[in-house]
Amino acid sequence: MNIMDIQNVQYTYDGKKKILKGINAQMEQGKMYAILGPSGCGKTTLLSLLGGLDSPASGQILYQGDDIAKTGLASHRRSHVAFIFQSYNLIDYLTPMENVALTSKLPPLPILEQLGLTAEEAARNVLKLSGGQQQRVAIARALASDAQVILADEPTGNLDEDTAAEITAILKDSAHQSGKCVVIVTHSNELAKEADVVFQLQKGNLQILL
Amino acid sequence: MNLGTRAVLHTVRKWKKTLLVFCLLLAITTLVLSGLAIADAQAEQSEDVRGTTGASFTVSRNIATGGWSSDGSGGSYSTQEYLTNDKLESLAAVNGVEGYNASIRTILCLSDRQGQWLEQMNPKGYALVDCQFYSYGCINSKYHSLFLSGALVMCEGKMIDSSVKNGIIISKDIADKHGLKVGDTIQAVNTPLTDDKTMGLEIVGLFEAVADNTDERNNYNESSYYEYTNNAFVSEAAMKNLLENYADVGYSSADFFVNDPERLESILREVQNIKTINWNNFLITVNDEVYQNISSALSDTGTLITTLIYVITAVSMALMILILSMSVRSRKREIGILLAVGIAKPAIVFQYVLETLLIAAAAFPLAYLFSNQAAGALGTLFDKAAEYIIVTPEHFMLVAAVGSILLAAAVLASCIPVMRLKPKTILSQME
Repeated sequence: MNIMDIQNVQYTYDGKKKILKGINAQMEQGKMYAILGPSGCGKTTLLSLLGGLDSPASGQILYQGDDIAKTGLASHRRSHVAFIFQSYNLIDYLTPMENVALTSKLPPLPILEQLGLTAEEAARNVLKLSGGQQQRVAIARALASDAQVILADEPTGNLDEDTAAEITAILKDSAHQSGKCVVIVTHSNELAKEADVVFQLQKGNLQILL
Repeated sequence: MNLGTRAVLHTVRKWKKTLLVFCLLLAITTLVLSGLAIADAQAEQSEDVRGTTGASFTVSRNIATGGWSSDGSGGSYSTQEYLTNDKLESLAAVNGVEGYNASIRTILCLSDRQGQWLEQMNPKGYALVDCQFYSYGCINSKYHSLFLSGALVMCEGKMIDSSVKNGIIISKDIADKHGLKVGDTIQAVNTPLTDDKTMGLEIVGLFEAVADNTDERNNYNESSYYEYTNNAFVSEAAMKNLLENYADVGYSSADFFVNDPERLESILREVQNIKTINWNNFLITVNDEVYQNISSALSDTGTLITTLIYVITAVSMALMILILSMSVRSRKREIGILLAVGIAKPAIVFQYVLETLLIAAAAFPLAYLFSNQAAGALGTLFDKAAEYIIVTPEHFMLVAAVGSILLAAAVLASCIPVMRLKPKTILSQME
């Protein structure tokens, strides 16, 4: 069953520049999707629309068959989706454990340890962690939530090759082993190769590459 | 993680910001509490002044409208009517009039028990008139204009009122000069060597003359009659006995004391509405110069203090909104993240309100402790003694309640620009 259904979605900047021109796509649980495309083509905008951070000019985005505009964007963000950003976006006055606890009532340490952080690192200020460690915390925050959809915007963009590979593996596992629907916006072909489905966004249209 | 935990963690871990807001709130609250205490001390002082200075008005015969008659020996006298007892009573019955005095004025000759005439005080060396003392037969000497104006003050004994039948008040200087004290009896007669009655009068009180050279009468130099220390106040009943050979026509004037000078104007309106008195025949003179002078100065200071409190509060609020706005702007990333993880805007705003109130919860009580010291020091700038400036729990409750509301409003105002943005806009600005 499709967990996300994008139906004829259009989006314009300032009511003039049409960024998305009637996009249609379906996404399922247990799969990792990659969206490729040149800079400024609207990849992040599409991710924002999927995550309920913004509303399309026309068309619908359905989560498990319900229009998220009708069920409420804040509620959609709170219950159905989790974000992972290129710049990690952790709350700087909270420790990794507290950042994870923002979205989950479960004990945060096991999941952080599962993603490779020690107990001591999990109790540090997040800004004292490396980029890779911070991205792991961001992923832990996404995985710890009940969200069935993980939306990742250039999750490996600030990381070195080895760390990027590790993060990619974690995201892939999240889809295949935890049954999440992982949608990744990326420039990286390496990362896209790991996805089950690859979309290409170009000139406002979305096409399936793989 | 709930917003309360987030608020506490932010307050503790962003301690530099917390300290800045704390210090600002501490300073503002201390100033406002001090201001309120000074304003209250000011109001209390004004109240005291109203009570202590009081005010009075004098009703006197209007000689100009009364006509004149010849006395048969080349002189003339006014035929204007006098103030009778029933007129005095209707005036005294006006709401707000605390008491009154009317005096029969004459010159009495005073002597000691042995019949020795008392010698006058004559500090200025004026023409000396032996034993003759300017005397007032009083209904209530407390309300005599010389005591009300402060020219004379009692230093021993009591005032004359209707309960004193054969009493006299003399100056302490005269008493000291002749070895007299309260409780002694002296002899009084209106005109010696006539059939005027001589009476023994008990000294019930002594006064001191404190009028200085700014006092008009103190500068008279025609005679030692006008020397204040040569005045005497005799009970009304005794004076009438001493003057039984003369017609009792009534009183030329009467002084009425009002304990709340602020009400004087309305009292005078009521007085002028008394129908049983023909106001063409009487004049009303208002004596509230002391109160007006003091209250004008106090009112100016009160206005200054109130203005300062408003200015401090307004400037402080502007400063708080500025600091909080800067703080909220610097937390745009955090707001974007919290929105992205599904935390609602009201919860984020409430977290910020809570953080500010947590700081206020520490700053307000500390300001309460500091403000008593600060208020005393600041009060001296307004000529207030520190011991009269007290920051009360009521001041604290008022400032804490109003301060909390204003702070919450300041946080809300600071959040509006960011909260109006869509989450995507905030996040794209962060990127």
